[in-house]
Amino acid sequence: MGENRTFCRIKRFFCKVSRNCQSNISVMAETINDELLVEQFSQSNESAFESIIELYSADVAALANRLLGWPSDVEDITQEIFLAAFLGLKKFRHDCSLRTWLFTITINKCRSYKYKRMLRLRRPPQDKDKIPMPSGKGAHSELMKAETFEHIRNAVAALPAKYREAVVLKYLQELPTEQISRILGISQNTLQVRLSRARERLKQTLTELMGK
Amino acid sequence: MTEDKLKNLLQEADRAAGPPEPVTVNFSEIRRRANYRRKLLSKGPLAAAAAILIAAGILNLSIKTQAPDQQEKIASLESQIKQLQASTDAAVSLIHEILETEQSQNRLNELEVRLASMPDPLEEVQQQVDKTAFILVYQADRLYLELNQTESAVETYKRVIQLFPENQWAQVARQRLVQIKEQQSGKINLKGDLKWKQQNILS
Repeated sequence: MGENRTFCRIKRFFCKVSRNCQSNISVMAETINDELLVEQFSQSNESAFESIIELYSADVAALANRLLGWPSDVEDITQEIFLAAFLGLKKFRHDCSLRTWLFTITINKCRSYKYKRMLRLRRPPQDKDKIPMPSGKGAHSELMKAETFEHIRNAVAALPAKYREAVVLKYLQELPTEQISRILGISQNTLQVRLSRARERLKQTLTELMGK
Repeated sequence: MTEDKLKNLLQEADRAAGPPEPVTVNFSEIRRRANYRRKLLSKGPLAAAAAILIAAGILNLSIKTQAPDQQEKIASLESQIKQLQASTDAAVSLIHEILETEQSQNRLNELEVRLASMPDPLEEVQQQVDKTAFILVYQADRLYLELNQTESAVETYKRVIQLFPENQWAQVARQRLVQIKEQQSGKINLKGDLKWKQQNILS
């Protein structure tokens, strides 16, 4: 009876530990995989980079899309990001995950892309302006919703870069605070301040919108 | 509006925008561009150095071709400077000469003024002679009138006539001698007349 009880206790303990560590194990697996890929790449095996592209291109494109204000077409900027990664991968020091490193590059490239676009005074194709016209039952409410979301996205896009980046990484990419502060190169306190200010601005903008 | 609500709204808005268009990252294109950049980075400094060398060579050549013209220019400038210097020296010497002439003229004027202000020595001598003759006559008059030394007085009158024969006082001395002779012969009262004359002279 006593042995059974002890066994049950040990079983419960391991179940608890495994539940807690499940996420950590996946992170560890990702890190080991990244290290292997980078090691292969540094040994002049450039096909390893194709694996990196396959693994992270979607995430990078999604982040770039959000940071640039949902232009939908982010192929050029993604190409630029992976070109920068290809040129700098041998200098990667493994002090963060490859995903974090790629996101850092994405942030920097999006900043410079926006700056260049501002200089050229040229807007990219605004597919986001085209709100799909819903048809059938409840078409009106769907249209209203679509318009509201459009306004929300515009509000996010109108935020200053430092607030927009924090909001996108926190609420849309759902990255942990530590990783975000690493990507942005700021302390966690600064990040919290930026998030708070960004929320205030968004609330203000959205309240005005609701009022209208 | 709570943070969670805001988060939900943002996520819904993101979902409503839909995912980005499927991205196809062209690895061969990345490799090609990366190689191009590497070449640019490795050969860039060499190309820059070559460009600098070429530019320096061109500059050197241009300096060499320009050299004779510059020498001619320098020579002409030097000759112009020499001419200017000579003309300046001539002008300076002329100015010196004019100044010296002016100075000598001024000195001459000053001397002339000083000379004009100086008394005539002949006049001075004449005045001295007059003065001496007068004193002798006066002394002789006193000898004759006050001291009754007629002989001494006569001698003094004679001395005046001898020393200053052309002077007016020699004339006076002659008159006195004549008058003394006449008095001695008893014709006139000479002493009263002489006293009155002497007082007039002294005043």
